[in-house]
Amino acid sequence: MLGATIEPALSEPQFAALVDALAADPERRGDLISFLREDHPHYGERGAAAIVRMRGWVLLAIARGEVPDDALIFILEELDTGVDPYLVAAAARALRSYPRPTAALAPFVMRALGNIRYRDEPVSFADYGEYAISPTDASAVSEVLATLRWLGPRARDILPQLEPLRAPHGGLPRKLRLDVDRALQAIRSPAPEDEPGTHSCCGTAPNGVRSMSSLPSNSRRGTKQIESIALQDQKGELITFKEYFQGQPSIVVFFYTRCDNPMKCSLTVAKLARVQKLLEVQGLVDRIHTAAITYDPAFDLPERLRVYGQDRGVRMDAGHRMLRVIADNDNDVLRRHFELGVNFIESLVNRHRIEAYILDAQGRIAVSFERLHWDEEQVVIRTVEMLKEKECGSGSQA
Amino acid sequence: MATKRKIGKRASTRKQKAATAAPVQSPENINDVRSLLKVLRDGSKPIDVRMAALQSLGAAAFSVADFDSVHADYIAALREVSTDSHEQLRRRALGILMRNKDGYAQKKLLDGLKNSAKALVPPEKALQLLSYDVHAGAYSAARSILKKPPNDEAKREALRLLAADTKSTPLFEKVLRDKKELRVNRQIAASALHSLDPAKLQARARKILLDKSDYSDIKATSLTALEQFGDDGSLAKDKTLLQSVNRFKNSKISAKYKQTARRFLSKYGP
Amino acid sequence: MDVELHINNSTAPEVRFLTWSPSPCRIRVTNPSGANTPTVSVKIAGVSAASGGSVVFRSGTTGAFSSTVTLTVPVDGTSVSFFAAGKFGQASVNDGDIKIEARVGTTLVGSVPVMVRIRKDANDLTTGERDRFVAAFAKLNNQGLGRFADFRNMHVSVSLPQAHRAPGFLPWHRAYLLDLERELQAIDPSVALPYWRFDKPAPNIFTRDFLGESDAIGTVQFSNSNPLQFWKTDNTPGINRTPDFPTSQAPPGLSNEAQTLALGTQFRAFRGMEGDPHGLAHTSFGGSIQDPATAPKDPLFFLLHCNVDRLWAKWQRKNDRFDAAVAESFDERPTSRSGHRLNDTMWPWNGITSATDPTRPPTAPGGGMAASPAVGAPGPQPRVRDCLDYHGVTDAASDMGFDYDDVRF
Repeated sequence: MLGATIEPALSEPQFAALVDALAADPERRGDLISFLREDHPHYGERGAAAIVRMRGWVLLAIARGEVPDDALIFILEELDTGVDPYLVAAAARALRSYPRPTAALAPFVMRALGNIRYRDEPVSFADYGEYAISPTDASAVSEVLATLRWLGPRARDILPQLEPLRAPHGGLPRKLRLDVDRALQAIRSPAPEDEPGTHSCCGTAPNGVRSMSSLPSNSRRGTKQIESIALQDQKGELITFKEYFQGQPSIVVFFYTRCDNPMKCSLTVAKLARVQKLLEVQGLVDRIHTAAITYDPAFDLPERLRVYGQDRGVRMDAGHRMLRVIADNDNDVLRRHFELGVNFIESLVNRHRIEAYILDAQGRIAVSFERLHWDEEQVVIRTVEMLKEKECGSGSQA
Repeated sequence: MATKRKIGKRASTRKQKAATAAPVQSPENINDVRSLLKVLRDGSKPIDVRMAALQSLGAAAFSVADFDSVHADYIAALREVSTDSHEQLRRRALGILMRNKDGYAQKKLLDGLKNSAKALVPPEKALQLLSYDVHAGAYSAARSILKKPPNDEAKREALRLLAADTKSTPLFEKVLRDKKELRVNRQIAASALHSLDPAKLQARARKILLDKSDYSDIKATSLTALEQFGDDGSLAKDKTLLQSVNRFKNSKISAKYKQTARRFLSKYGP
Repeated sequence: MDVELHINNSTAPEVRFLTWSPSPCRIRVTNPSGANTPTVSVKIAGVSAASGGSVVFRSGTTGAFSSTVTLTVPVDGTSVSFFAAGKFGQASVNDGDIKIEARVGTTLVGSVPVMVRIRKDANDLTTGERDRFVAAFAKLNNQGLGRFADFRNMHVSVSLPQAHRAPGFLPWHRAYLLDLERELQAIDPSVALPYWRFDKPAPNIFTRDFLGESDAIGTVQFSNSNPLQFWKTDNTPGINRTPDFPTSQAPPGLSNEAQTLALGTQFRAFRGMEGDPHGLAHTSFGGSIQDPATAPKDPLFFLLHCNVDRLWAKWQRKNDRFDAAVAESFDERPTSRSGHRLNDTMWPWNGITSATDPTRPPTAPGGGMAASPAVGAPGPQPRVRDCLDYHGVTDAASDMGFDYDDVRF
């Protein structure tokens, strides 16, 4: 009754040694990218703080050499919505090993500064899992400022946000204000030559970083495995996946009520509410379904789902629901089907990414938005395309 | 926002009030805060002076403009003194760190629960502090404590920590049912069960109220749970339950419990 | 003959709550039978239950209050206005423990129960007041599922600059408390937020029947009939609170009320109380209340801040600092952060997040300020300046519908 405890296969020091070995082997360095997926087995059955230590070490290991393009999205994700100072610092440091910096990176670094400046911590990267206990020069904020300095003139667009931080009461201590000055100096220095497509605002991802992927109709996965799973909504009503998601396009987000990063789940669900308002304005709210599905079905019972949605302005009715699976195994089915970026310690989420999906009228995954903040209008535009696809009969059965 | 004030007069008044404790002052600026951090770290200073410095630093977190600018140094100092020779300082520093969801503190506390030679605070305190962060990964440690609790407080804190563990529903049902359990543990079980499975709590609370041999205190908890959070429609129709509550009210119980019963009956009775 | 009495310009029961500030009232004849003149003389008086509150009246917006007022009321149904207020020092204990009665001669022609609902010293509440407050608070928490979660989430590390270490500290917390109090009153309208007078012993607060008794490791224990035994925040049940002082005494080292009020006659000086006594009151404990980011997990936080607000109210009364146009009433600086200048709206009620303003937190929990059925101020998106004239001294329309037992109008 007290429940068996499942221990992870590797201890943390063993994991660190494995990461170091891979990083040192030029043939195998690329394997480290797979270690950045949340659902990697190494992260199962570990507490959130352990995940932070492990992920941070992977980022630092990758950054010992040139950071490859397919690692960039993980770094940007951490800068965009990370709230753990150690991990944000590791991401900021890792970015400095990326060989092709562009102006599009600057808003991410600036956002990271906003996210952690009120919870700065000393950081130490010399050994795995080390926590600084002396006042050191290195802190999460200093790492982020160093990355702004590294960006130099490419960061010109964020000057208006950075300049106020050098004021005496701007919230940074003197030693960090010197770092701000150095960064400002580097940013204001003349650019060597104009880089193509340098100016970027609003956090749109740099060229090459794909946070959205869409699948043409003939390569979308079928739903046979998932269509019979039973879902329960915020009123306690039961409905199968097929019944809810087939027949019209749907927008699906994942979340859980115990998420303690306000920029992830809470914001995701609040954004779903904004998507619903856009659908209402466009007269589409009866032709497109929306759903917020919890990663944590055992804890997120219907009443909890209802209150969470209500507090964030979510519309809840026959076509717009907060959902959970009810059979134990069905959570695994859901995870596999969506390839969810989540992991658990027992049933509690220990880490997850931001993810939103558009399903076509057959309930198949057509578009996915991963890791970086997705834009509500973009999501609606893409979903309307699914509607047109349905109406033109151009979507084919799996 | 340094404000001129009559520090001297105020300090002497404070000293009169707290003759045996070191004076605590509210720092006015970042330089004050830096001085306090030095005092905190200084093992040669008397412990009450260091504790007063820690209290003042806590006050600074509320009121000193630019406190965020020394937050990293504050965390570093807290981590350092979390292994200090004085337990009261360790406790307080670990408490502040755990409220910040600090990974260093979590690791130290979990290691201490696994291996008592490494424990910085007693197990009941470690469990209490770990419960600040649902993601601390402390469930297995809490379950181990429940298998062989070193003392009543540790058992209680382990139960409290597990209150959000969906696997522990059977455990809480068992604790709530067990009349030999301590009152406070049954109280925690009622609260936990209400979170994890409200229908089960309502059913169990009803059984407790109908059970003539169960204790009045757990009946009072059950009544409070039902009155505050129960399903109004079904409670008002439950004649058997209302009769039991009436019997409870008329039995030899404290005035307070009688009042709880009266409130319940006036809400749901005819 | 019958008359209709409007309290706060309404006949609805939910608005029949008075403070020390004059509330606009009206009387009109609804059934003129028996009248043979175009007007009647109606005497309005308050009738108090034993230990109940007391009401005073005046016919216009100025002048002294007295225990009765006599009005000439047309029998054609035209209403006549007057003002009612709680008699200072005589707050109600229960809802409806005062009746406002209207008589023509000796005949009772109309009556309405009211409550003089006032924020009181928590240590001196009656058992009934205490139990109603605790029950409403526990309901608001609703085992972690209730609206209280929004109040908890308004006071987290990323949002601290919206409300601390800057001039807007006192107005922001005044709005925060008022929002919470109105939510409590939506559950039980007879409830007012009590204050913890931290410069005096308050042994009645730290009991199992009220805000709990701490054990040796700081876990707070409640009696089996106290609904706070089900309190949950951040998905964890219970409250951690370790007093660093015997709770039969006051916490040592804090400035007392006289010292706090003597900080200066300008707001710029007075707001230094954010450190002492406010910050020191918080750090007289270990546990959640000790840290800004976790303090509201402990319900004691709201009683602590109620006293902070009371001290500000008292200072305002002492120095006549209700008018935002008077420079000494506030510490207005053009360099202050957003949300700390008189004309700024305040997060979270303004709904502004980092999506549009990077100085704001990523979400804005709770929506707009809760409305009151009795008064219109401060509106759903209060500005800093709207929080100064809390009981309508400069402008009656600013009355926010609360008062303290020892701060007169």
